[in-house]
Amino acid sequence: MVYTRRSSALFIIGIIMLVIWFLADGGMMATYIEHLGGSKYKYLNELTTIPLYFGVVAAVIGLWQLLGKHSEGHWDYYSSTIAGGMFILLIAMLVRWFIAPEIAVISTSMGKVGDTGKYIHKLLGLNYVVLGIVAGIIIVNVFKVPDWARNGVRLSRLGLKTGVILLGTLYSAAELTNLGGLSIIMIGFFVLGSVGMVLWMGARRNIPNSMAGVLSAGLGVCGVSATVAVAPVVQAKSVEIAYTIGTILLWGVGCMFVFPIIGNLLGMSYVQFGAWAGTGILNSAQVAGAALAYQPDGIETLKVAEIFNITRVLVLPIIVLWLAIWYVKREENVTEKVNVGQIIFAKFPVFVLGFILLFALSTTGIFAPPNHYKGKYFGNTTEQGFKESKLLKTEQISLLSTEASKVQREDRKAALARLIENKKVMSIDDDTILRGLINAKVLSKKANKVLKGSHKAVRHTAKKIKAFRQWITWLFAFGLVGLGMQITIGSMKQAGGQPAIIGGVVGFTKAILSLIVVLLLVSETV
Amino acid sequence: MSEEEKEFDRGSALSIFGSDRLEDFMALLIALVLAFAVYIVY
Repeated sequence: MVYTRRSSALFIIGIIMLVIWFLADGGMMATYIEHLGGSKYKYLNELTTIPLYFGVVAAVIGLWQLLGKHSEGHWDYYSSTIAGGMFILLIAMLVRWFIAPEIAVISTSMGKVGDTGKYIHKLLGLNYVVLGIVAGIIIVNVFKVPDWARNGVRLSRLGLKTGVILLGTLYSAAELTNLGGLSIIMIGFFVLGSVGMVLWMGARRNIPNSMAGVLSAGLGVCGVSATVAVAPVVQAKSVEIAYTIGTILLWGVGCMFVFPIIGNLLGMSYVQFGAWAGTGILNSAQVAGAALAYQPDGIETLKVAEIFNITRVLVLPIIVLWLAIWYVKREENVTEKVNVGQIIFAKFPVFVLGFILLFALSTTGIFAPPNHYKGKYFGNTTEQGFKESKLLKTEQISLLSTEASKVQREDRKAALARLIENKKVMSIDDDTILRGLINAKVLSKKANKVLKGSHKAVRHTAKKIKAFRQWITWLFAFGLVGLGMQITIGSMKQAGGQPAIIGGVVGFTKAILSLIVVLLLVSETV
Repeated sequence: MSEEEKEFDRGSALSIFGSDRLEDFMALLIALVLAFAVYIVY
């Protein structure tokens, strides 16, 4: 089978990207950029670089695909995915740079919604992440993915996994310790709880043990991967796997859109929302989608959500073992012997180990030396990076003093008092604590802006870390638009009958209970 | 999903790779290449 299509599509995609770059770089988009927000428009730097690089690649390979000779083989198979990959990327670009900002302009012009104090696009989370996924869903269900792009659309999960691995570079050891402890407790409780609940409900509703087993792993652990991993252990039939995946997709897609709206209505902090999404949403890809939808221009929520998600994936071997023992006990006439150890080894997701590897590399300081900014905190000479103009102004000090009473936690109170007294952040620890205060959204927007300014005065993001953030953002954007293209009505229609009822009850219970726990207990910093 | 599976003689409906393990290793390889590029360029 020859996969490469003699189509001009990839070449045209390359030309479109180059035209975008040419117009932006030549200043011919100035009026339009002004309409989209002017100085508040965040993507000008991206517009003048990214479409150039990818446009050249797409145009050159597109020309070769159009004019060259193609024969069956590895090269044909893998190179034919480039057209689909670039198709996803172009949609992500258009949505991120033009469609989402345009919707924000329209929504802002309509005014704020009632008592919420928020514009409709903020309330509904109509940002590039949500709109990208919706664009993917519309393309696949209304227009169908074009033939030349079909092979490449299957690259989206690879993009998400690469993004998760690279995310390892952005955590500090302290963050991972704080969040890791919290996530182990929450995930331990909710994973074991939902697996147990599915097995209990399955027995009461008389569904086959194989169905209950595979459904419990899918709903409890990490969605589709867990379903596939557990299937041989409980000897699940294809139709049971399809039911489970359909239920997970239906529930996961719903959560991906609903969770950010609830988070916005409740004014949840990034840490709270990340913890909730990482616990309450069933499938890994939808966890990333909801986290980025909640905070599209920052990475804090995604970082928290992914720690929870990765902890959940790490529980998979325990669940496989539990279900293997449970299944053998329930089914007296199991004839086929299953090697559980071999299944755990074969199905354990290596990308989680990649995340840990990149985190370990990052802690060595090769991407951003840990003591790089020390002088700016403690020093008061220009050689150490101190600038008089960077100190907090009198009106900013009085604003923070007025709002200080809102802060409850002692460490935050103390760090804020030191900031007010010295007019600048005095230590790395204070900086971390104050960033947590910003993320907790305890103070007003104005006061948080002052805190952000004081953070920037002593610390700028290292160039390497900035580059990683940009790559991670694009890998997730790519993966999520592609994910949208894999959400077909047909695949969700597979959900049905008892699995859908059990999935609905367990998914809903998990979402509500984890929301309550998060709201009551989580106020950790990131 | 089953229709899509028939469409490709390699990989699955969700991936171009034959197994999740291979996809994981490819993601790790790409991430390491990107990390190295970021380390060199910036």
